[in-house]
Amino acid sequence: MISARFCRRSVACLLGLFAHGVAFAASQGTLGTTSTGSVSIGASVPNRVQLSGLSDVAFTNQDPSVAAANAQNVCVWSNSSTKGYNITATGSGTANAFTLSNGAATVPYSVEWAGSSGQSSGTALSSGSALTGLTSTATNPTCSAGPGSSASLMVKISSASLQGMQAATSYTGTLTLVVAPE
Amino acid sequence: MTQIVAAQHHAATPMFVRRARGSRCPLSPGARFAGATSTATLALACLSLWASPAFADKARITGLADVAFGMIGNLQADAVRSQSLCLYSSASTNGYNVTASGTGPGGAFQLSSGSLSLPFEVQWSSSAGQSSGTQLSPNIPFTGQVSTATQQTCNSGPASTASLIVILRSNALTSATSGTYSGTVALIVAPE
Repeated sequence: MISARFCRRSVACLLGLFAHGVAFAASQGTLGTTSTGSVSIGASVPNRVQLSGLSDVAFTNQDPSVAAANAQNVCVWSNSSTKGYNITATGSGTANAFTLSNGAATVPYSVEWAGSSGQSSGTALSSGSALTGLTSTATNPTCSAGPGSSASLMVKISSASLQGMQAATSYTGTLTLVVAPE
Repeated sequence: MTQIVAAQHHAATPMFVRRARGSRCPLSPGARFAGATSTATLALACLSLWASPAFADKARITGLADVAFGMIGNLQADAVRSQSLCLYSSASTNGYNVTASGTGPGGAFQLSSGSLSLPFEVQWSSSAGQSSGTQLSPNIPFTGQVSTATQQTCNSGPASTASLIVILRSNALTSATSGTYSGTVALIVAPE
């Protein structure tokens, strides 16, 4: 094994040691026509994910005989080695149910997720249960570079649910999505 | 080997001591003497001033410390670490240049985690206590620097005379796969 002790005067030797992964602490230079010192640098990048590009969903003047559906492209970024992530959705209804409310009555809706953009259908989510095994193609946390979106979110209200809603009344609710790296 | 030739003294022309490569050692008018003995003495004086290796300019870099970024909490902000160090130059101007090399391909400034890489920047300032400086390019000397060190390890005089700044840019951090990265920067200084 090459010893750092015998490398003090040779930059090539020093760099050779570095390249072979020899653990190094900072080394100080000696007085000479050239003087060489070195520092080791270390950094840890933690697992991170980011969900962005979400838009509010508005169903207006829906025909009760036709199911309502809204699909949107969103950006999910993960920096794990597999670019993997999972997603958990919760609604604002009782026990986090996916329901809209007009204050007196509620109507259910469904949520679907696809791990690629441009989809109109995906895997149905259950409130509070993580959908695992997803992979992102995003190369930037907000998709400002690389692909502009990396997943699809679908919100749907069945025809039967629409037919149970009171006309000319607004129903509102909030859907919360939590992504985590895996 | 350097050869010294004592030119014959002539009253109408300056006297020089010539080195083998042709550079000349002028003698000040006040130092001219007639006679072979005086000329030989002056020639030896020029030898010590112009040709002795003991007077070659030298430099030294000390006071370096490893750079530990630790776990980087915010990947969307630049991570910066700076340190003050001692740079000494014996040149008459106290001038020096610095060349940095990393452990990436071709000396690139790159940290690695297995096959993964994380680029970083290296900056240099010729004064201590700085958090920004001039960006260095791998293997390219950064010239025209001047040290205020009066002792080769800054044991007296200013305790440090330069700053080394290492930066992990946010765009590199957000492009990096999670993991633990490491690397090395070698700094070569030379008087000038």
